Amino acid sequence: MMNRGRRRLLEGLMAVAGTAITGCAKAAPAERREPRHQKPGGFEPGLVVRAQRSNLRDESSGKIDQGRLKATLGAVVARTTGDATPSAAFSRLFRATDVVGIKVGTLAGRSLSPHPELVLQLFEWLVAVGVKPENVVVWDRLDNELERAGYRLNRERNGMRCLGTNQEYDWSPREWGDGGSCFANLLVNELTALINVAVVKDHDLAGVSAGLKNWYGAIHNPNKYHDGGCSPYVAQLAAFPLIKDKLRLTVLDALVAQCHGGPAFSARWAWPCGTVLASRDPVALDTVAWRIIDEQRLKLGLQSLASEKREPKWIAAAAALGLGEHRSDRIKLVDV
Amino acid sequence: MTNDPINRRDWLAAMALGGVAFGCPFLACAQNHSTDKPLDAGPSAGLAAVPARWWKAAGELRVECELCPNKCRVADRERGTCGVRENRDGKYYTLVHSRSCALHLDPIEKKPFFHVLPGATALSLAAPGCNIQCKFCQNWEISQARPEQVPLRQSSPGALAEMARSMGAPTIACTYSEPAVWAEYVFDIATAARKAAVRTLMVSNGYIEHGAMSDLSQVLAAVKIDLKSMTERFYREQCVGKLAPVLDTLRLLHQRQVWFEIVMLVIPVLNDTQAEARDLARFVKSELSPEVPVHFTRFHPSYRMQNLPSTPVATLTRARDAALEEGLHYVYVGNVPGHPGAHTNCPSCHKILVKRVNMVTVENRIVAGSCPDCKTKIAGLWT
Repeated sequence: MMNRGRRRLLEGLMAVAGTAITGCAKAAPAERREPRHQKPGGFEPGLVVRAQRSNLRDESSGKIDQGRLKATLGAVVARTTGDATPSAAFSRLFRATDVVGIKVGTLAGRSLSPHPELVLQLFEWLVAVGVKPENVVVWDRLDNELERAGYRLNRERNGMRCLGTNQEYDWSPREWGDGGSCFANLLVNELTALINVAVVKDHDLAGVSAGLKNWYGAIHNPNKYHDGGCSPYVAQLAAFPLIKDKLRLTVLDALVAQCHGGPAFSARWAWPCGTVLASRDPVALDTVAWRIIDEQRLKLGLQSLASEKREPKWIAAAAALGLGEHRSDRIKLVDV
Repeated sequence: MTNDPINRRDWLAAMALGGVAFGCPFLACAQNHSTDKPLDAGPSAGLAAVPARWWKAAGELRVECELCPNKCRVADRERGTCGVRENRDGKYYTLVHSRSCALHLDPIEKKPFFHVLPGATALSLAAPGCNIQCKFCQNWEISQARPEQVPLRQSSPGALAEMARSMGAPTIACTYSEPAVWAEYVFDIATAARKAAVRTLMVSNGYIEHGAMSDLSQVLAAVKIDLKSMTERFYREQCVGKLAPVLDTLRLLHQRQVWFEIVMLVIPVLNDTQAEARDLARFVKSELSPEVPVHFTRFHPSYRMQNLPSTPVATLTRARDAALEEGLHYVYVGNVPGHPGAHTNCPSCHKILVKRVNMVTVENRIVAGSCPDCKTKIAGLWT
């Protein structure tokens, strides 16, 4: 029989644990909402940098103009950190000893996934600042999703690696906010820095799938966290230290974007947006992505996401957790 | 009530039987049966899909799953909460039909079924997936996984039926994960097994829609339902599920006269009060039948619930006593080797009818479904 003392102790421990978790979530004070950073400088809260070009991608063939993409992406990345060149930006963000994971979101196949050419350019800048090629890992959930999106797999340490997590999770469940998951083994045990590379698209349940939602690809059980418009799960997952403390940069490949019918590709609702965005503030960046989607929806006569009750509530939740800025008057959208 | 202690001979006999029964893990079974082989498809090949039942179109390539109370609205290329059913171009598919991730030959008592063919073996299999998220899940490595995350083997319904028959197992048990989310596979296994004179058992959380369970009830021989708690709060906070649909499933099984047993995992602090045990017993007695076997089983720390101790044996004994006092006829204590609450006693004369040790039946005195001493009819599937 469990005596009263033992029961009280157990109940007390549970109550304390509950208070501690709730307390953390509620106690995030306004003055501490700016994200934490690995290195000083190169960060401006709420700054989102955008480049809009109509000539980066041939719409009929889908072919990328690598030279123009390099120049455009370079300008975006450099402005993001306030440096003169992308190399200077990368040397600020990464150390030569880093093992850098480039998390891509490739669920929607070749038509609506980050272009490999863009990822390759990021790789080149990483190598330029001294990161070993084999210490750059392009990564998503599954081999077959990467391949369908046009990525060539490479698990060997003979250059840049590209691989799906598949079954390779760190099979020790970790609690994050209201969720509990096993994280990709790569993320837990190898990577020291992250670049998040996602697209800008509508998501039937989450409202928007851009940078923050892409982290669902880091856990073994993403299907469990789609209730309530994925809120607050998207925010809580991105706030988990394994992700938050390693994230250096988020890039959105919106050369093609999609305003409805996501997360899968829909030819009807995708459009040549011709845009590349980057930020060190993932909340501000996703707020801008939401704006892009809603503008296109209104242009096509669709209701706004809010009118459809699909607005991404997790954006405000992410801001409340201190991941970044979501208030319009605090977001600085800079075109280059 | 008669509660004989276990003697040394019973214990050794149980250990010996258990050794045989547990000595057939996944690969050992499979190697002797050529129809059961590893899948060729690796992670890069993607998963082949079989059309799902129990769903409807929901516009713009969306589907709405009608299999379980989650009623997931699933967009193209997405999956339901279970992670094993996928929308492809507006049609819904199961990704785990004929794919097992666990296959063992177990004693039927391990499921546990105490009123179904005592001493029989059950060819027990699982496919990945579950529709709720119990923080204390004992098999979370497969229940909370997507099919790509676990090794799978091709295990067609026909091959399983043949395997069970050739191994002398009178039953196939769909168990370990949540069979409700692979209900198409369960249905086809049960249909194939019936042709081979093998009975199919389902070990489930009961979190399933009326239509699907109704269909399954036509082909299943028996069902074990994990009733996690008698409170909605527990289901919401510990399982991300709801209690009401589970109670509905129990009512349906009773109405359809499918044999079923109920298990409640008793967890310290969370659902271990005598009041809750009495609530369960009153529900069973008033809405189902006092002859429904109820098992109170012992919790051990697992998955996301590592902060609580194992259930004290006395707590389980008290729960059993409370349920018996409420008028249930067959109440058991589980996961406690050697506990006298593992035996089946005659509800009239209270003598031991089936003696079990460590999930193995060591003596069965039931004759023609009745107590040999007082001739009371004992509910169950005995032949």
